[in-house]
This record gives sequence, C-alpha cells and structure tokens, in this order.
Amino acid sequence: MSIVAHLPRRVLSLTEEEAASPPVMELTGRRRATSEERTVAETIYAEFRADPRHREFVLGCLNCGECTTGCPAARFYDFSPREMLQIAQNGDATTLWDAMQEKIWACCQCYTCNMRCRFGNDIAGIISVMRELSVIHGLESTRKVLAPFGRSLTLLMTVGTQVSSDMIQPDFFRDWGPFATGSDKVWDVGTDVMRRAIPSDVLHTTRSSWEVSVQTSLELFRIYEETGVLDMLRGLDPDLTEMLVDIIEERREEFEEARDRFRTELAGMHGPVATFMG
Amino acid sequence: MNPILVLGGGPAGLSAAAELAALGAEALLVEREAYLGGNPKRWHYSLLAPDLRPAEEILGPLLGRVEGSPKVERRLSTTLTKSERLEKGFRVTLKTADTVETREVSAVVLATGFDHFDSRRKFEYGYGRYPDVIDFKELEGMIHDDKVVRPSDGRAPKRIAWILCVGSRDIQVGNPWCCRLGCVVSIKQAVEIRQKHPEIDAWVYYMDIRTYGLWEDLYWKSMQEYGVKFIRGRIGQVTLAEGGAQLLATGEDTILSRPTEVPFDMIVLASGMEPGTGTKEAAGLFGLPVGPEGFLTPRLSDMNPVDSGSPGVYFAGAATGPKAIPDAVTEGMGAALRAFQYARE
Ligand SMILES: Cc1cc2nc3c(=O)[nH]c(=O)nc-3n(C[C@H](O)[C@H](O)[C@H](O)COP(=O)(O)OP(=O)(O)OC[C@H]3O[C@@H](n4cnc5c(N)ncnc54)[C@H](O)[C@@H]3O)c2cc1C
Ligand code: SF4
Ligand code: SF4
Ligand code: SF4
Repeated sequence: MSIVAHLPRRVLSLTEEEAASPPVMELTGRRRATSEERTVAETIYAEFRADPRHREFVLGCLNCGECTTGCPAARFYDFSPREMLQIAQNGDATTLWDAMQEKIWACCQCYTCNMRCRFGNDIAGIISVMRELSVIHGLESTRKVLAPFGRSLTLLMTVGTQVSSDMIQPDFFRDWGPFATGSDKVWDVGTDVMRRAIPSDVLHTTRSSWEVSVQTSLELFRIYEETGVLDMLRGLDPDLTEMLVDIIEERREEFEEARDRFRTELAGMHGPVATFMG
Repeated sequence: MNPILVLGGGPAGLSAAAELAALGAEALLVEREAYLGGNPKRWHYSLLAPDLRPAEEILGPLLGRVEGSPKVERRLSTTLTKSERLEKGFRVTLKTADTVETREVSAVVLATGFDHFDSRRKFEYGYGRYPDVIDFKELEGMIHDDKVVRPSDGRAPKRIAWILCVGSRDIQVGNPWCCRLGCVVSIKQAVEIRQKHPEIDAWVYYMDIRTYGLWEDLYWKSMQEYGVKFIRGRIGQVTLAEGGAQLLATGEDTILSRPTEVPFDMIVLASGMEPGTGTKEAAGLFGLPVGPEGFLTPRLSDMNPVDSGSPGVYFAGAATGPKAIPDAVTEGMGAALRAFQYARE
C-alpha cells in the first residue's frame, strides 16, 4: 500500500466577484478588509473575547492535532478545529474576521473534536460562538452561506425539526418514520421485532416524535422572543424573519381558537372551567 | 544505631543502600519483587539513554555494591504492612508469603518508584486489541534480545511509528504531567533499530520533543545520522489498514496543517509514568501527603528534594515524579546522607 501521507486539500474557491475585488485579508493574503469591515471586525473581536463562554471553552492548546484527526470537515475542506482554537486563543481581529467568512461554516458541530481534546477545550462550542456573532452582525458572507438553508431554518424554527413524516418516502427509508415497514439491512427481521428492542417507556416516541404539536411550536416561539433569537436573525435576513413572525402569529391564533373552542365545549359538558393555563 | 530502612530496590533504592553501606550504616533493603533493579530490570531495558550503554553496565556495578556488602540486608519478595513511629525511628512489620516479622529502624528512605501508564486506557490506539500496537517498555525487551518482530505474525516490520505522550500531558486520563523519558527513550529506540536494521523506516509523532539538556544531541543525531523521521502532531486513532495486515495511523501533520493517514507494520506507544501502587501504599503507611498527581511530595522540592518533611523519612527516585536513572541515583545518595545524619543525631 502506498503512503497516503497527506489527503488531498480542497480549497474553497473564490467567487468571480471576490477574485475581481482587491485583496481583503491581511494575514492570510486573501483580501484586504475595507475600513468599515475593519470596524466591524474589531467590534466582533471585542465581543468575542468578552463573551464569558470564551473563558470557559478555550483553556489552552498543545497543538497536538488530535481534534483535527477525527474531524469530518477537515478531511474535505481547508479547515481544522485546531486552527479555529488557535484563532480563538491567539488570533487578532483580522484573523478572526477571516475565519468567520467561510471556515466556521465547514464545521458540522459533531463534537468529535471535543471528545478528542486532551486539554479539555470546547472547540465545537467556540466555533458556534463565532457563528452566533456572524449572524448577530449580519455578515454578508454569512447571509450567502446560509441562503440555501432558508427552508430548513424555517422548518426548524417553526416545528423544531427539519424532517416531517410526510417528507419520508417509504420506498427509500423503509426503517424510518411512523409507517416503517422494514429495513434494507441484511439482518432485517421486520419492524415489529426491531421495535421490541426499544425500551417500552420510550416506545411511544417512534410515533410521537413525528407529530408536530402546536404547543411545542408556541414554546419555541416564546424561547426565540425571550432570548432575542428573532432579533438576531432580523439583521441577517429580514424577509425570512417577517415570514417567521407571520407563521408565529398564525399558530398563536390557531391555538387560541382551539382553546376557546375547547373551553366552550368543556363548559357545555361540566359547567364553568376554573382556570386554564396558557 | 538501628538499621535504616530502604523501601524499594530500583536504581534509587540500590543507590541509597550502597551509599549507606559506604557511610558505615546498616541498610535494610526491602523489595516486594523477587529481584532487585526496579523497572529497568523488570522490562529488560536495552541500551540506556543518553549514552547508549547497556543497562547491565549501569545497574551491574550498583547491584554489585549492594549484593557484595555485609552491611546491606536484602529482603526480597517482602512488603511492609505496618509502621509505627517511635521516639527515634519506626517499628515496621515486614511480610513475606509465609512470614511476618517486626523490626525497628532508625530512619526510612522511600524509593518506591513508578508504574507504567496502562495504554489500554487510551482506547483509540488499540493497545490490547491489535497485537502489533505495543508499549515501548515491551520494545525495550525486543531490542535487548534483537528480536524486533511483529507479535501478530513474527515478521520483521518495514515501517514503525512511535506515538509520544501516551497517558502523559492529557487531562482526559487525568495525567497532565510530562513523563520526561518518553521522548529520549523513543528516539533512542528508533536509533538502535536503525543502527541494526537500516531497512526499517522509523517515524516519531510528537507534540514537543523534550530531550532536555545534553540529551538534545541524541535527537539531532537521530535525524542527521540515522534518518529518523519526525512528524509534528499526534496520532488520534489507530485502525486496521485495508486488508488487515497493517495498522493505519490517523492524525494531523500540524506543520502542514493537514490530516494524515499512514500505514505502519508496528506502532509503539511511549506510555507515561504514574505514581506506583507501592508509592501510594508507602504514603499511607507513613501518613504522608501525596500531590494532586499522586506522587510523594517533598516538603521543599527546590531546596531539599529528598526531605519528606516528616522527621526521619526521606525520598529518592521516581516516587516523587518522573525521573531518569542518573537523577534517581543522585537522589538515592542524597536521601542516604540525610537519613544517616538523622539516625546518628
Ligand atoms: C521504557 C523506559 C525506558 C527508560 N529508559 C531509561 C534510560 O534509557 N535512561 C534513563 O536514565 N532512564 C530511563 N528510564 C527511567 C528509569 O526507568 C527510572 O529513572 C528509574 O527506574 C527510576 O528508579 P526508581 O528506583 O526511582 O524506581 P523504580 O525503577 O520504579 O523502582 C522502584 C522499586 O520499588 C519497588 N517497590 C515499590 N513499592 C514497593 C513497596 N511498597 N514495598 C517494596 N518494594 C516496593 C518496586 O518493585 C521497584 O523494584 C526509562 C523509563 C522507561 C519507562
Ligand atoms: S464539531 Fe466541527 S470542528 Fe469539531 S470535529 Fe465536528 S466538524 Fe470538526
Ligand atoms: S485536541 Fe485540544 S490540545 Fe490538541 S490541538 Fe486540538 S484543541 Fe489543541
Ligand atoms: S517526555 Fe516526551 S513523550 Fe514524555 S510526556 Fe514529555 S513530551 Fe511527551
């Protein structure tokens, strides 16, 4: 067997526009930041370093590279968790800004790096802090990176999952969803037998996890409002945010209507209802 | 004057006993194993770093001084089960498989040494699962007997990797300290193998090379004269390579910033040094505190590294932390001198 010492590197290629514009990155020699960009970069840097999670997640680094070893993204992109940790630890405003343009989005948040790290760093966590800042500041690059995910984002934010049972094609996912008919695995023993392996106290989730409950949606919305997620998203994608707000309003009305209907029905059955939460 | 107890017959304990005899004191040397010589003897160390002299040449004279002296009473396969402080010195209970005996001693030198880190705890390296992943203490014996072959099929390896810092500098396994010997011993092993078998390719995966002081010379020579390869980055996982005959080491080359995968015929783990079970026992018996790492802690490690802080109890060797043989031997001398002074006072 030949020595596969270094796996092929796939560099994220420049767009035509980028290639035409003057260089922005000072340290890495890609592009040179404009003065507005530089101001944002410095603000982001200050916020990043002041974030209490920074102190908690970034402890130090031996540069052993074990985080990169298990990182699926590092195998395909010019990206490594070790580099992200180094940037979080020692990088300056421009380097951080550079990493926040594309690199942080190569990570799939699998947390393998954390499991490997002998220093106990939360690398996946610090990457998500960078992502959060790039959304909060509505970076143009972030908008571009996230544009294709509008649909997933809408689903995630309104029903809490990207996949619903009506999206499953039974022919392709025989062992998925509430209507599972079997499996493609060679050891297929039939759905009912496989389901018996699931502990009975969680067995109901094979069905309930596919149901979209209005109450769950409402709880999610409440969380977004209280934690400022919607405001955060507004900077990045106002249209999407407005759409979400509309959906939220609709769901709330639906819920209130259902609640009123239910109250009336109950009252008809048992007389007045004392209290009702919600 | 009652004899002075030396607990542990490794390089440090041997040195202490030999020195006590030279000072004219009686030494009671207690070793739990059936032989003297400690870890170097147990694992049949080959050539010793940094001078690449055979272990026998270094341990031999030390053993000779102890075994040839009527002043040293040697008690092998013996453990200490109890100790009680007297006005001067201690009353201790010695136990063998079939005897129990109480003795009075005027001072104590604890030279209980270290244990190797159990490499199975870094499960991602497959030690204990793949026969061709071995611990470097096992390689010592193979080199010593000039039988460097793959345990799986008895064939000579073509390419060997050393992984440094296994069970050291790693809070995942609770051992943040550096083992001090892993680098120099691994490099020494690579040199020894390249000397005898230049056809074997030797790769060392490291985070830092800590061939401190004059040992740096060996590191340079290993590249200049023996063509040992050094890759900066640690292997994060070992699996079987395609076909199953070789091992695949996956890691990051942190200089080139790329993930790497290299097939090897054999992988050697530089396992760290942990406080030995005997050291923990001794701490309990003499009511001594141990540090957060579990090693014995001298009261003033900078001023007097052999003083325990408890009157009449002295330390020597790897019982207080990872250490090379010359340091262990020097501390043995220091502890002997301090114990002698205390006993004579
Ligand atoms: C693979 C490897 C290679 C090495 N090669 C080199 C080298 O080339 N050059 C070099 O300078 N150093 C080398 N070292 C370091 C060397 O092994 C240590 O410096 C040395 O062994 C320390 O001596 P010691 O007497 O303190 O401890 P040990 O060698 O651990 O001896 C302790 C002794 O005490 C005994 N004992 C422990 N507890 C009790 C108890 N309660 N009652 C009775 N007896 C007890 C043990 O059985 C043991 O015999 C190497 C280390 C390793 C891991
Ligand atoms: S969480 Fe991100 S950086 Fe960490 S291993 Fe997974 S993909 Fe790589
Ligand atoms: S695993 Fe931890 S210590 Fe090692 S390079 Fe990655 S972040 Fe640094
Ligand atoms: S001596 Fe070398 S192998 Fe041992 S812990 Fe220190 S750096 Fe790692």
